[in-house]
Amino acid sequence: MLRKPLAALLLAAAALVVAAPALAGNGGFAPVDPQSPNAQRITDTYWVIVAFTGFIFLLVEGSLIAFVIKYRRRARPVEVEGPQIRGHHRLEIAWTVLPVLILAAIGSFVFYKLPGIADVPQADAAGGRLDITVEGRQFYWNYHYPNGVVAVDRLRVPVNRNVRLELTAPAHDVIHSWWVPALAGKTDTNPGLTNETWFKAEKIGLYRGQCAELCGIQHAAMRTSVEAMSQEDFDQWLEGQASEQRNPTGETALGRQTFRGACAKCHGFLGEGLIGPEITAATVANTEAMEELIRNGRGAMPPVGEGWNDQQLKAVIAYLQKEKPSGG
Amino acid sequence: MAARAETARPVYPIPWYDGRVAGWVTTTDHKRIGIMYIATSLAFFLAGGVLALVMRAQLAQANADVVDPDTYNQLFTMHGTTMVFLVVVPILAGFANYLVPLMIGAGDMAFPRLNALSYWLFLFGGIALYSSWFAGGGAPSSGWTSYPPLSIHSPGNGQDLWILSLHVLSIASLAGAINFIVTIHNMRTAGMTWMRLPLFVWTILIYGYLLVAVLPVLSAGLTLMLLDRQTGTNFFQPDEGGNVILYQHVFWFFGHPEVYIMILPAMGIISEVIPVFARKPIFGYTAIAISTIAIGFYSMLVWAHHMFAVGLPTFLLGFFMLSSMIIAVPTGIKIFNWLATLWRGNLRFDTPMLFALGFVAVFTIGGLSGIFVAAFPFDWQAHDTYFVVAHFHYVLFGGSMFAVFAGLYYWWPKMFGRRLGEGLGKWHFWLTLIGFNLAFFPQHMLGLLGMPRRVYTYRDDSLWEAYNLVSTIGSFVMGVGMLLFLFNIIRTRRRADARTGNDPWIGDTLEWYATSPPPQHNFDRVPYVTSARPLRDIRRRMAEKGV
Repeated sequence: MLRKPLAALLLAAAALVVAAPALAGNGGFAPVDPQSPNAQRITDTYWVIVAFTGFIFLLVEGSLIAFVIKYRRRARPVEVEGPQIRGHHRLEIAWTVLPVLILAAIGSFVFYKLPGIADVPQADAAGGRLDITVEGRQFYWNYHYPNGVVAVDRLRVPVNRNVRLELTAPAHDVIHSWWVPALAGKTDTNPGLTNETWFKAEKIGLYRGQCAELCGIQHAAMRTSVEAMSQEDFDQWLEGQASEQRNPTGETALGRQTFRGACAKCHGFLGEGLIGPEITAATVANTEAMEELIRNGRGAMPPVGEGWNDQQLKAVIAYLQKEKPSGG
Repeated sequence: MAARAETARPVYPIPWYDGRVAGWVTTTDHKRIGIMYIATSLAFFLAGGVLALVMRAQLAQANADVVDPDTYNQLFTMHGTTMVFLVVVPILAGFANYLVPLMIGAGDMAFPRLNALSYWLFLFGGIALYSSWFAGGGAPSSGWTSYPPLSIHSPGNGQDLWILSLHVLSIASLAGAINFIVTIHNMRTAGMTWMRLPLFVWTILIYGYLLVAVLPVLSAGLTLMLLDRQTGTNFFQPDEGGNVILYQHVFWFFGHPEVYIMILPAMGIISEVIPVFARKPIFGYTAIAISTIAIGFYSMLVWAHHMFAVGLPTFLLGFFMLSSMIIAVPTGIKIFNWLATLWRGNLRFDTPMLFALGFVAVFTIGGLSGIFVAAFPFDWQAHDTYFVVAHFHYVLFGGSMFAVFAGLYYWWPKMFGRRLGEGLGKWHFWLTLIGFNLAFFPQHMLGLLGMPRRVYTYRDDSLWEAYNLVSTIGSFVMGVGMLLFLFNIIRTRRRADARTGNDPWIGDTLEWYATSPPPQHNFDRVPYVTSARPLRDIRRRMAEKGV
């Protein structure tokens, strides 16, 4: 009598399990659609765990519902006792050993996939490798390219090339965590320490992510994105940045990015004041005072520019001096 | 008038310290202390719940403006700290206070005055935390984990009050834990061997040992943080040679056992409720007792699974993954044993049983999502996202709080001689179960979609907004359920037909041998205990004798 609903339940669950991978990446039933080999392997691990835990879930919830229906009191008086069963050794051993085996299987699969997730590809691996240093800072990401180019919040990389990230944070700053779910799991940027991670974007496109470790008042605004572009586009962009950043004057990409990343999140996108005060034309006019302020901070303002290279400092001040008096 | 007062004076005058208010303030009776613990925790539960609803209101839509970013950080910090330190741990201490002496046939705790001190320290610790709303810079805002350097840079004195409060609460819990351990070891009545100890008392014993083992570590970490903040030391600040990771090890060495401190007694409550409402003995008593010890032991070997994204060496990640997965085995044993207890029972679905069954249903989900986050490569995606928020709410609300409600409905008749209303109780249960799943299940999806926790706003993606809105609706449904519970308490106080006998559920354990409520000394005499179900033994002997 009970078999029919139970069978229907199992069937429905099986249909769900089949349907779920078809929806992978849609609806949040699996990690964000992976676009990098390491993220792909994490998603594989996820589905293996889903399979095992799904089985246990159905077993437990199914028998719970079945027992609740089948053994409900109905017309029996409340004091009637069920059979006084105190245990069953073989059954108890079975449900101790079975979970051990399941966990061993999950653990083994994790270790099997692990090298492809955690091991950063060698620099001489096929296709070459791009090495980037990532600095997590309140509340923006400073990306350093090997040729000295600096980018803020948006990381541009060539498609289909291994990218190694060296992650750190300045000693005076707090902990952040770099995370772009389509490309890689998160890795903390610890002040004074260094971590590494990697990805290889397999499609041209824009991948979004954000800081995943509480870092203060604008933690929610500490977003980032990775733009994967063709090798030619990337080379052209990097070359353009290198020449622009050699002597930044007026409105440069670096100045604009730095303003939006490091200044605007607290002072507003027009510098009109938000958490911090308004940035006035009078303030930005004094280059020396600006350098001092940006490098050392003041009061509640953290030393956002501590450790910047001169070009970045110059670029943002030049940007402010050009934009601010024009009311921008 | 003087004459009337003269005649109204009782033959044996009540001394001032037994007055209606002073009687509670000066009491050393474990039952009154237990009730005060529970009442205070429920008051903090209300406060912490309101904080949660404000957060959910802010997150109902992207880029909402209900609260400002700084306030939002204060809200989740206070919500987390409240629920862990001022609700779940102390309310379980309240149950333990009320029940342990009754269940083991003792007259009181081993150290009644120390017991009172524990309660008052708990109350003052809570007041210290809540006074931080009025501190310079507002309430603490670095999260309930308060990682440095953020917590050290945190301006104002909110963070210092947080440290003070946790220090005071630690002393309260430590004194309470020692009291439970001594009581359980030494004051069991004749015949109550370890294998006849009620399973709830087993869990309280392990709860006590865990607190004694890990609270001093927390206190040490808090002290170092206070020194860093106030005296210029640099234990956790890298610019002067400190290490930012050190605190995380110290905190989680306390913090993970704390999770089991919050769930083990809840499991104990479930192990008491299910057999009574299934009219069967608990299936596999020994296995449940041993798995309690096993969980307690392994809980001290898993702390770094909170630190998988920190950058630890791979062999450590592997170790902590495996140790975390091992804990799933004794936990699974308990769940299977509860299910087997239901098998062929005579199940009655009064509100305590509904909450206990709800516990099994939702705690299982929390346990299974724990296996996901234990697998550290997957945790690199899930860590610090709403997936984890969903996971620990399934464990701490779906687990601990469901068990707390089961316990409140189950032991309310013992504490007050009155049964909480069944109709309102069932409404409370269903609204809580539905609201809970609406609120927290979509958070798994939000985490997988990339939403970190502790953000006051999020990307205006339609799917993110949809799940957040569902979550907010669910949280308010739960809120309505909680208001019904409050109303139920008030109504039960007034209704004459709520009165009930000494043993309304046909219980198995010694507390049902006492009157409801029990007298100050608990028992006039305690029967010799012949099994883990002494009251059932008595009923059977009486039936045999034809009484």
